[in-house]
This record gives sequence, C-alpha cells and structure tokens, in this order.
Amino acid sequence: MATRTAPYQWSARGFIAPGVILVAVLLYLPLLWTTFLSLTEYNGLGDPDLIGFENYVEMFEDPEFVGSLLNTLLWVVGTLLIPVGIGLALALLTWNLPGGVWLRLPFLIPYALSGIGVGLIWSFILSSNGALDQALAAFGITDPPRWLVDAPLNTVVMIIAAAWQGVGVNALLFTIGLNSIPKEPLEAARVDGATGGRLFTSILWPMLRPLTAVVVGLSIVASLKTFDIVLSMTKGGPGRASETLALTMYKETFVNSDYGLGSAIAVFLTIVTMIAAILYLREQLSKKHEF
Amino acid sequence: MSRILRTSVLVVFGVIWLLPVYLLLINAAKSPLTFTSTTSWVPTDFALFSNIADALQLSGLGDSVWSTLLYALVSPAIAVLVGAAAGFAIVALRLKHGFAWFVVIFGGTVFPLQMVLLPLFDGYSRVGLFDTQLGMIIIYTAISIPFSAFVMRNFFTGVAHNVFEAAVLDGATTWRIFTRLYLPMASSALVAIFILQATFVWNDLLLGLTLSQSDDVRPIVTTLAGMQSTYGGAQLSTVLAAGVLVSLPTVVLFLFTQKFFARGLALGQY
Repeated sequence: MATRTAPYQWSARGFIAPGVILVAVLLYLPLLWTTFLSLTEYNGLGDPDLIGFENYVEMFEDPEFVGSLLNTLLWVVGTLLIPVGIGLALALLTWNLPGGVWLRLPFLIPYALSGIGVGLIWSFILSSNGALDQALAAFGITDPPRWLVDAPLNTVVMIIAAAWQGVGVNALLFTIGLNSIPKEPLEAARVDGATGGRLFTSILWPMLRPLTAVVVGLSIVASLKTFDIVLSMTKGGPGRASETLALTMYKETFVNSDYGLGSAIAVFLTIVTMIAAILYLREQLSKKHEF
Repeated sequence: MSRILRTSVLVVFGVIWLLPVYLLLINAAKSPLTFTSTTSWVPTDFALFSNIADALQLSGLGDSVWSTLLYALVSPAIAVLVGAAAGFAIVALRLKHGFAWFVVIFGGTVFPLQMVLLPLFDGYSRVGLFDTQLGMIIIYTAISIPFSAFVMRNFFTGVAHNVFEAAVLDGATTWRIFTRLYLPMASSALVAIFILQATFVWNDLLLGLTLSQSDDVRPIVTTLAGMQSTYGGAQLSTVLAAGVLVSLPTVVLFLFTQKFFARGLALGQY
C-alpha cells in the first residue's frame, strides 16, 4: 500500500492551495518584510536604508522602551497570578456542585466583551471621582489614590481589569481539565479519606499539571501582546508611563512613522513570545512523562 | 467544603463580578440631562435606547455596525471552508507531505499580529486595498484560516477512511465527496469555529486601527475607541450606551452557544 503512487494528489493540491496562498501572502510575506525593515531606517517615503542592528541598539538605550519592557513584565506576572489563580479556585469551587454551570456564568460574561469594552467600563469606574472613588467616599475615604495617573499603580489596576475579563475562561478551561480526570483514582483517594486540601495536592493538582501548563502558556503569550485595554484606559500615559511593548511598537510605527524602530520592537516581541511558547510547550511535554 | 458554603461564596463573588456590568448598564441608560458623574451607583431613568440612537449618529457608529457585521459573517464563513478544504486535502486525500503543509498553515497563528501590521498597511496602500471593505474581509479571512485548518484537520482525523473509499467506489468526485459528505458531517465543528472567529473579528481593534480610516469601513470596536477619546462629560452616557451596543452581540452569542464555545476552546488548546 505504502509504495502505491498516491491518487488524488492534484486534487489534494487544489484543496489546500487557497489556505496556503492566503496565509503565505498575507501573513508570511509581511512577516519577512517586517524582519527586513527592522534592519533599516525607513519612514515610509523613498526606500528603506539598510543600517544593520542600529534599531535594536537604539531600542535598548531608550529609557521609554525599558519602561515599556518592565510594564510588559508586570503584565506577564500579574496575569499569571490573578486570573489563573482565581480561575483555578473557581473551577474547584464549582466542580461537582449542583448548579455549578450557572454559578460560573457571571464570570464568563466579561470574557465576551472586547478589550475596548472592558477598558471603557473600567475607565468609568476608576476615573477621578468615578464610581470607585464614590464608593470609597461612602466609607469615609476621601483622598483615594489616582488610579489611572500614578505609575506603576495604573498598570496594576489595568491588570486587575484584564483579570476581571480573563478569569471566566481560565475557570472554564480548568473545569474541562477537572472533568477529564478519570474517576477511579479519585474514588480510591476518597475511600482512603483524602478530602479538601489533601485531595487537591495529592491528586487534582498533579493531574491538572498538563492543562495548567497550557493555561499558563496562553496567559503569558496573551499578556505579552497586551494592547486594547491599555490604549483604552491610559493610552500608555501619563507621558509613556504605562505603555506595553505592543503599544510602543504601534506608536513608533504609526504615530512617529519610525518604521525601522517599530519593526525592531515587533521582532523583539515575537522572539520573546516564541521563547515563552517553546518553554511552556517543553514544560508541558516533560511533565507528561510522569504519567 | 460544604455545598452551602461553596454556593454562597460563589454567589457573593458572582455578584461582585457583575458590579462593573451593572454600572455600565445603569449609566448607559441615563439621559444626558440626568447624567452626573457623582451618582454612578444609582439608576435614575431609562434612556438606553435613545442613547443608543444618539451613539449610532455620533462618529459614524451606525456605518460601522453594518461593515463589522459584514466582516464578522463573511470572513469566518470563508475561513471555515478554506480550513476545511485544507483538512480534507491532508486527511481524506492524503496529500503528500500533508503534515508539513499543515504546519505551514498553522504557523500563521504563532506570531504576534504586530509582525504583519506595517507591511499590510504599506502593501494595502500600494494596491488600493487600504480603507476598503474588501481589504478588511481579506485580512480577517487570512487571520482566521490557521485555527480553522487546525480544528478541521483534527475533526477529519476522527472520520474513518473507508467512508471516503466507499464514496469513490460509488463514482463520486473529490469535490462532491467534500461538499456532500465531509462538510455536512463536520457541521458542528464548522459552527464552533465560525462562532469563535466571528467573535474575534467583531472584537478586533488592531487591524481596524491600522488598515481603515473612514466610518463605513472602520470596524465598530475601532470606532468605539475613537468615541471614547473624543467624547466625555454628559456625552459619557452616550459613549457607554455605544459600549453596550458593541458588546451585546458577542455576549448574547457567547451565552447562547456556551457549549459549542467550550468544546471549540477545548479543541483549540490541545
């Protein structure tokens, strides 16, 4: 069978061609062009001038870029701790609970909102004398922090807004994971008297590990690309104090027309994302050997 | 923990979680006359619909609704078909080096969108696709294809190959087998991908911001972002109403199709 010349090869090429062509022309070609532009000085007029790695050097010497890098790091850590942690807690609380699906619903609604929608709501809540400040005033706190103005507080509150949006989907993923755990070891552990924390540390957590790796990996990759919420809530300000890499890239390219520098930031962002993706995939694969 | 305790903890947190939604709704419903920034927590009147009507007239949100609807319906529809065709070629037709071709298509999702923005903007301007509905449909389609191919390849792998062989014996062409046999069989997977990608397109900001300019091309979320920075004060209730309008379709779609969505997510992560 294996040596027989495969039939339908021409037909198969016809079926796969639209996908390959669209992806190649609209995603891969631009990708290569951005990589090339990152090595040039270019403002969109005339031709790009090849300047080697100067954009990358300039990038790391710019304190604004370093600030943006640190903010992005804060986003990565924050979105790991808060939405993943609360998501896991929610999944455990609703697991095997009658009506659990309904109790999870409030947390899923924000997930369907756009980043701009989330930013709009939270800007309204956090603006000076906004909904939160009014609530605090009712408790006698009349001099609240300036949530969206002081750095790094503004990044922290935006991370909380993003967490508000992201918790539900993490809970959903962990629930899928919990439901896929085979019943026998669970029953055995219960018969042996394992409950609550003991059941969690000895059975549930190890079994959830592969899924945890996926959730963590997705969170890292998504947080590296944070753009909508920051644009909506602070525009990266005041000044450039709350910018993230994705926003800095956008500004350098489309506001300052520094195409070379913008491309260099995009390449840097891509490399970091790749490294994170590879690390978590490797983590996930190595953990699987334990079973 | 006892059931009652778990349930009450969840109810309390659920209520807290919905407070921002409550604030959005009651303030989006205040008429500009009663809207003051000092009474955010108390509902006053119900002018949501007139606020939405106002929002539709301000900054071209009305034009954006129709073009966004077009993008969110057409692009994912084309993408699920193109993705299904790719999956069919690899799995059923056993395309040589099929897995390598699959990796080529799927690799399109691995990179951040930032890597393609500038060349797309540049290229679109040169060939006359910048700020056109056709241009937006093309890029949203391309972006949606890799995930679609991923899920469809997985799905078709679960279909016994003798289904295909039997159809060949009956004298059906590959096109006929694809359209009459494989596509109908995959309808639930196709719907799941369609919903996920339609939600993504509806909520996209970055491509809209980069590749469009005029009201009738600009996607709705991009228009909302523009409104948010332009209007404030008493107009704020109108902007919030616009936020409700923009969010409603995805929230409703999501809640009604939660099971599909969950299954689609489960497929997408592994």
